[in-house]
Amino acid sequence: MTDAITVSGLSKTFNGTVHAVQNISFNVTAGEAFGFLGPNGAGKTTTVSMLTGGLAPTAGSAVVDGVDVFHHPHEIKKRIGLVFQESTADSDLTGRENLELAAALFGVPRRTTNQTIDSLLERMQIGDAADRLAKTYSGGMRRRLELAVGIIHSPRVLFLDEPTLGLDPQGRAGFWRYVQELRKDHGMTVFVTTHYLDEADTLCDRLAIIDHGHIVATGTPSELKDRLGGDIVTVRPLRSGPDVEATLKGLPGVVSVSASDGTYRVKAPRGEELIPTLVEACTRAGVGLAGVSLKRPSLDEVFLEFTGREYREDEGMTATDRAVRVGQVQQAFGRARR
Amino acid sequence: MIRELNALTRRELLRIARNPQAIITALLLPILYLLLFGQAFNLGAVLAGPELARVLRGAPSYFSYFSAGMAGFVAVTATLFIGANVIFDRLFGVLKRTAASPATATSIFGSRLLAGSIQPIGLAFLVLGLAVLLGKLGLTGLDVTASVTPVGAAEVVLAVVILSAMFASLFLAIGFSIEQPQTYFAVVNAINLPVLLTSVALYPWGIMPVWLQNVASYNPITLAVNVLRENLFAGATAYYPYDPAVYLLGLFGWAMAMFVLATLLARRALAPRR
Repeated sequence: MTDAITVSGLSKTFNGTVHAVQNISFNVTAGEAFGFLGPNGAGKTTTVSMLTGGLAPTAGSAVVDGVDVFHHPHEIKKRIGLVFQESTADSDLTGRENLELAAALFGVPRRTTNQTIDSLLERMQIGDAADRLAKTYSGGMRRRLELAVGIIHSPRVLFLDEPTLGLDPQGRAGFWRYVQELRKDHGMTVFVTTHYLDEADTLCDRLAIIDHGHIVATGTPSELKDRLGGDIVTVRPLRSGPDVEATLKGLPGVVSVSASDGTYRVKAPRGEELIPTLVEACTRAGVGLAGVSLKRPSLDEVFLEFTGREYREDEGMTATDRAVRVGQVQQAFGRARR
Repeated sequence: MIRELNALTRRELLRIARNPQAIITALLLPILYLLLFGQAFNLGAVLAGPELARVLRGAPSYFSYFSAGMAGFVAVTATLFIGANVIFDRLFGVLKRTAASPATATSIFGSRLLAGSIQPIGLAFLVLGLAVLLGKLGLTGLDVTASVTPVGAAEVVLAVVILSAMFASLFLAIGFSIEQPQTYFAVVNAINLPVLLTSVALYPWGIMPVWLQNVASYNPITLAVNVLRENLFAGATAYYPYDPAVYLLGLFGWAMAMFVLATLLARRALAPRR
């Protein structure tokens, strides 16, 4: 398989002091969905800006769809699609006029322009609102219009920079469904940055985690989760101390134990089998337990493992919201999470 | 390139047409000035005959003289929004979207310049028409005393177009260089009034101090308004040292200088960030 994106030693420093991206290298295979994860300020958008010809790098090289991005920024703009995290559709134009403008700018052949626009409007389910000003569109409709604008010229590589930010769970699920359809129908390579780890887990073939401008891990979602060493059993003892940690470390099958604020995270390949043994061992050692919980590895844990801190973008979202969102994303693609 | 220039210009004109408040605001000041200054400064009450003609350079009344001035000034108030739109397009992501497309900087800048140069023609004629209408309503009105020839009409249109292109370039240069709307409007306001007050749009030529006459002679509004007055008022050419074509040439020089400045700044603003 050929590479759709090849990045080598890419760096960006602003004002000589702010190192936004530092010597990153990765490749994305043609037809792949590649997720770029990281917290705010990690360097995701800076990377996308460089790969799409909007920002000159400080060092390094990038080839997208066979074109050197930094030597041919104009050529690269013809070949890629780009959906920004913020709305960029022209509010004073109708949905159709926005697409007509994009078709003219991206050189869509005149004879197929109307047919292409009608087909996109239909596919994105905004056909009924095609002749309404974009300023009257809902958030979800605007996102779908953005996607339609981004793919009007049938690019081989599509960059999505946090495209579902601010959308409700239903809107997000719908958006990703369209992206998956595009991949299936056109074999499009998708490079996506997202705050939502569950979306990345469900949608992406491979992921890279970026933190403080460095790529700290790459792999398939399964590979990354496997690197954690198994399930995570969280133990909340009534007291802490060296003997507690020693007791937990001595249990059969335990890969590692880490402590934080009186809570212990115990990694083990089969957590549900460990729990009875763990409770028994703690009782024998005179360690009372306030609670024990089991967590299957998720990308949240992967992120915690590789960056040393939790993914914070879900702050403000209730557990119910999150459960609903996860369910809807899964339902949309019919893929079971591990 | 022609297709993208055409599409982007259409977008600019659609946007202007769908925001009538910008057009109303552009007309507000010239019409307000026309109604207040134009009606109040009745020089005919204190001057008459050849002296009035000398002071107003052949115009039959101060209102007629001033009407031509305001038809030129509307090119300033109308093109102001072309520069402001750059700032708002940047704030609302539209400029980012356009810059991310294969559209060239020349097309992105050129479309705004084209729209900015075309739009004020109608407004200038609206101001002149309103000034004539006031006369029909019993107030002092614009009295076009010359027989306007096709060449003269073309010179009038050309003067408004070139003046508009010049100010559109200036405001685009500012719009592409400044990020905050409040800063843009502060800078533009600091330019507008001095430019208006150092031109012959408002002041009667014959009673201006010589130093101001010297300054005003090179003012782009003066150059455009001279073309209008020479063509609208019978015998006015006797009061002007040059033919309209000379003033149009001077105006073209101004427009080219602003065009070069704005092109450089637009190219810099639309280039990949460093």
